[in-house]
Amino acid sequence: MATHAAALQERRPPVARKIPHTVSPRLWTLAWRRLRSDRVGMVSLVIVALFIVMMILSGAGLIASDWNREVGVNYAPPTFLGSEAAAGASAARSGLPETETVPQGAEYKSNVVDPIGDIIEKLKAGKGEAQPAAAPPGKSAAPATSESSDESVDPLASVMADIRAGKGVEAEAKPVERKATLPFGGDKWGRDVVKKTIKGSETSIFVGLASAVLATFLGTVFGAIAGYFGKWVDDAFNWFYSVFNSVPYLLLILAVAAVLQQKGIITVILILGLTGWTGVFRLLRAEYLKHKGREYVQAADAVGASNARRMFVHIFPNVSHVVLVQLSILVVGFIKAEVILSFLGFGVPVDVVSWGSMLNEAQNELILGKWWQLVAATVAMAVLVTAFSLFTDALRDALDPKLKGRAGA
Amino acid sequence: MANDDIRESANARSRAVDPPSGDALVSVRNLRVTFRLDRNTTFEAVKGISFDIPRNRTVALVGESGSGKSVTSLAMLGLLPPENSIVDPSSQIVYGGRNLVGLPISELRALRGADISMIFQEPMTSLNPVFTVGWQLEEVLRLHVGMTGRAARKRSIEVLREVGIPEPERRIDAYPSQLSGGQQQRVMIAMAIACEPKILIADEPTTALDVTIQKQILDLIADLQRRRHMSVLFITHDLAVVGEIADYVVVMRNGEIREQGVAKTVFEAPQDTYTKALLRCRPQLDRRPVRLPVIDDYIHGTGPKHTEERKRGVRPSDPIVLDVKNLGKSFYSREGLFGQREFKAVKNVSFQLPKGKTLGLVGESGSGKTTVGLTLMRLHEATSGEAIFEGRDLLAMSPKEFMAYKRRIQIIFQNPYASLNPRFTVGQILVEPMQIHGIGDSSQARTDMAFELLDKVGLPEVSFYKYPHEFSGGQRQRIAIARCLTMKPDILICDESVSALDVSVQAQVLNLLQDLQDEYGLSYIFISHDLAVVKYISDEVMVMNEGQIVEIANSDEIYRHPKMPYTRKLLASIPKGWQGAQTRAND
Amino acid sequence: MSAYIVRRMWQMIPTMLGVVLLVFVLFNWVGGDPAYVLAGKISNQEQIDNIRRQLGVDQPYWVQLGIFLKQIVTADFGASWSTNERVSHILLTRLGPSLTVLVPLTILSTLISIGLALAVAYVRGSLTDRMVMIVCTVGLSVSILVYIIVFQYVFAYKLGWFPVQGWGDSFIQNLFVYASLPILIGLVVSIAPDLRLYRTFVLDEINQDYVRTARAKGVSENRIMWIHVLRNASIPIITNLMAGLPSLLLGQFLIERFFSIPGIGREVILAVERSDFPVIKAITVYVAVATIFTNLLADLTYKAVDPRVQLK
Repeated sequence: MATHAAALQERRPPVARKIPHTVSPRLWTLAWRRLRSDRVGMVSLVIVALFIVMMILSGAGLIASDWNREVGVNYAPPTFLGSEAAAGASAARSGLPETETVPQGAEYKSNVVDPIGDIIEKLKAGKGEAQPAAAPPGKSAAPATSESSDESVDPLASVMADIRAGKGVEAEAKPVERKATLPFGGDKWGRDVVKKTIKGSETSIFVGLASAVLATFLGTVFGAIAGYFGKWVDDAFNWFYSVFNSVPYLLLILAVAAVLQQKGIITVILILGLTGWTGVFRLLRAEYLKHKGREYVQAADAVGASNARRMFVHIFPNVSHVVLVQLSILVVGFIKAEVILSFLGFGVPVDVVSWGSMLNEAQNELILGKWWQLVAATVAMAVLVTAFSLFTDALRDALDPKLKGRAGA
Repeated sequence: MANDDIRESANARSRAVDPPSGDALVSVRNLRVTFRLDRNTTFEAVKGISFDIPRNRTVALVGESGSGKSVTSLAMLGLLPPENSIVDPSSQIVYGGRNLVGLPISELRALRGADISMIFQEPMTSLNPVFTVGWQLEEVLRLHVGMTGRAARKRSIEVLREVGIPEPERRIDAYPSQLSGGQQQRVMIAMAIACEPKILIADEPTTALDVTIQKQILDLIADLQRRRHMSVLFITHDLAVVGEIADYVVVMRNGEIREQGVAKTVFEAPQDTYTKALLRCRPQLDRRPVRLPVIDDYIHGTGPKHTEERKRGVRPSDPIVLDVKNLGKSFYSREGLFGQREFKAVKNVSFQLPKGKTLGLVGESGSGKTTVGLTLMRLHEATSGEAIFEGRDLLAMSPKEFMAYKRRIQIIFQNPYASLNPRFTVGQILVEPMQIHGIGDSSQARTDMAFELLDKVGLPEVSFYKYPHEFSGGQRQRIAIARCLTMKPDILICDESVSALDVSVQAQVLNLLQDLQDEYGLSYIFISHDLAVVKYISDEVMVMNEGQIVEIANSDEIYRHPKMPYTRKLLASIPKGWQGAQTRAND
Repeated sequence: MSAYIVRRMWQMIPTMLGVVLLVFVLFNWVGGDPAYVLAGKISNQEQIDNIRRQLGVDQPYWVQLGIFLKQIVTADFGASWSTNERVSHILLTRLGPSLTVLVPLTILSTLISIGLALAVAYVRGSLTDRMVMIVCTVGLSVSILVYIIVFQYVFAYKLGWFPVQGWGDSFIQNLFVYASLPILIGLVVSIAPDLRLYRTFVLDEINQDYVRTARAKGVSENRIMWIHVLRNASIPIITNLMAGLPSLLLGQFLIERFFSIPGIGREVILAVERSDFPVIKAITVYVAVATIFTNLLADLTYKAVDPRVQLK
């Protein structure tokens, strides 16, 4: 473009040109400027970007890759609560019935059936001893069983001794020492809550983004074709849409989850993406219908543009901002849906941590007064979703500012 | 028709001939209104204007878009949005000894609807769609006069009858969506006068209405003004309308008053160059200069150029470029359980377009004139009929065959804001048709052609790189014209192409169209509802009503000797302007 | 009008058939042989064989589809695979508890949301407006799970103001004792998104021309808001409400699950966990049918509420 302007100046006889040639701002440039001046929007964008960076780092294994390791004592309290808490925690833990250990995999399933019942069981069993629920960490005078906490959590101490003695027994590498407190506490098995939260954000954001992209793509393509061509094509798509729309969204997800026996991240993405396109479809169909009747599309028809050209070269740039906003909205919705799915056990498999599974565990822990996993997952999720929502609002305002009030002539 | 004439001459005779005296009903002094566009920019819409509204007289506030006339009218009642508009505290709008600027809102509300009423441009959206006509009328009665129940209903019916709503006892329970545009505006007027206001502010009340309805509403307002001794502040951009009804005229441009005074003086001896230009730019019914004067002619003091008359007309020996026979177009909608309802938009239309000439197509909304144009372009598929061009029927060809002919017949739409893709640069808009039809050997050749065309339509070459939103309405129409020219068409359909433009810009675009016709020998089908413009630019005029042709004749003939009653009715509705009003007064 | 209704009912048939087809494809085709699914859940091989025979697993698909259609029409889906309770009985008995929570929740939520939306729109642009919107946004970002867990812990478990879970026999007891905390949580969760949406509807109306006319008539801002604007904004609000009704039934499933309220939502979760296909199929199909009818109802309501609409 700039070279053409320059060439133009060369070929014409020199005439005093009073109009300086500046490249006109396109929609996206204007929108970016508006967004930049919106402080809330920019802050949200930065927060979202940070989360995405965290997701990439975590996915690449650069951080929190060892989330699964039991680095702390069970239910290790957060460091900032001090060592009193540590004592209280170990005491509380020692009051627990030992019979609760269950193999990791099946644990989730059985919890899910009757969570409260499980808790009530534990309470009944633990009633005779120190009441753990009544003792929030750091507050009560815990029984001064200050013996080393290592004892009961290191059943393989003897194995370690053997290894150190060079006997070369194949055993899981277990850290010899488990910390008494962790930066934001530990879960039931002493896994670092901070690392789990980071890893969980990776899951949620990745699932949220991927399914949103899938759903948006489907909805856009279907909506464009239906809205543009109309008549029987529109009828066919509308039938398809109303079938999917007649089944309430959550029910549809659960039904599909019930049927697909394999669990996995891809499954979750497919479930969410293949069922969540209806909103985008309806919107894009309406947009394409509206634009099809606009004069600039008729003019394109008059100059001979083909249907495909009109749909993608002419109309799409005029609706792309709608698509972007919808994508943003879907990401938020899918993150929340994934958390619920994982909570119920229908989401990501157990070897992948999600905020949903953290909340699941937190449910039981709360009764015992361990609140840190709940708070970590909740706060992380709230921050991400709030930032994303505010960013979506700012994005929408930047792309399509409506004049408030009337500034007529 | 006799009654109309009597009424018109009564209006004309009672026209004021004296300048406003000291006892003005409303005095506006130094009104200044600023808008805040965003955090850093403000825009002064009204720059400190002063004028009076005398008792029992009609004041017309005239200006083009952006002149600040609507802002002024809204400011009178404090209806400007408080979020982004600021009325300068030093402004004064004095009524009944009080300054309305800065008046406590409760007192202002007591005046609204009771002392000073206002009606707006779009009656459909200005009425609340979910309440009946009667409910909305009774609301204003209850608010200001304390009338309720049966008394209110009775008075409402009276007022409806006064404004000319037929069967008011039934219509009072109708919803706005069940009434026509003209009736809706009458209801608005009824609501405004129900409490016997002293001043009626009318903001472009007839702009959105058909020409025949417009005349009825104008007569109604004039009637009410006389009978009730109201003052009327009439805001409009149409000088012809002003000429018919105004006692005093205030001309605004860019937030300032350019001229004000008694109507006679302003029309017959305007002092200000802009006013002079405005008065002359509009096509007159009795004159047809080779070029229409434009604002620039007056601003630069050179005076209008090329004022000699241009002869127009079609001779039987003229070669025909397009022969349309029995064109018909029906739209179908679903009805009942399985049925279809047919709406015949165009019925049996036949005409011939002579080469290098302009065929004007006039009619009101719903007459089918636009559909004719769209059908000839095959943007709608015709239901019946043929259109013979170079020996072949354009309507019968397959879409693929038609592609070769598509470039020969092009269209310029009405809405300059909607006919250019907002995401394309002007360059892309111009180059696209050339790419599609294989015009030009290289992209450089096409770019050069685009530059040439921009020059031809009077736009700077650098426009190539800009986006449509950076241009005004008139400039966008030029771009649309340039787009058509890239394909070197034979026939150009102008579908209300100048209707959305200001008077001064309209003249420029009409001149451009004429120049192009002279240079390239283009044939035009000029569709419009504006009879004066059509008469100016057309050789032959075709009048349509309800999908059918009412009359076809050479343009001079049809205006001088209209044969059909509908044509006569249409012609009688044209606001004659000041000259016309005076002529009638002197009869 | 009646022609319109009849035509719409006629148009509903393909959609309903579509749903049936969707469920069928999901459960009979993708889901496959129930023996695979049930192995490990039901130890009685004879029972599994029974189920397979009833479903017609070895028969061609169109026969299976026929069986399914017959089940729908006669409302007889056989027995649940896990509890052996008749599916129809399950559906009927679970409807009551769901509604006991749902109906008061919807009424309260709508009234409060509308009232707040009007109030917030009245002071639009002010600090209050922005604060409320931020609170809504943050409130929306906290998962419903958290609300349930925390509220249950604080209000029921620690403070003892409500029962932790359970359901009784008498309607009154259910409504006021057992349903209270669930309804409270439901309110908190649904007011935030509704408030945002309704506020948008109201703000759209405030910028309309007829509001300017009302001001020009001298009508007070209060009256404009509560009568002129509300009446217009109620159109999108009501249609939005009606369209969202069927999903409300299930949207509370988490609440039902946590509070052990024997409603349809909880039933669905249990069924999904146990891969209890007949229950899931039945609920899906009937809820879909209810949705389709509700949509028709929504359109009719729209026509009743908006004088501009002409139904053809």
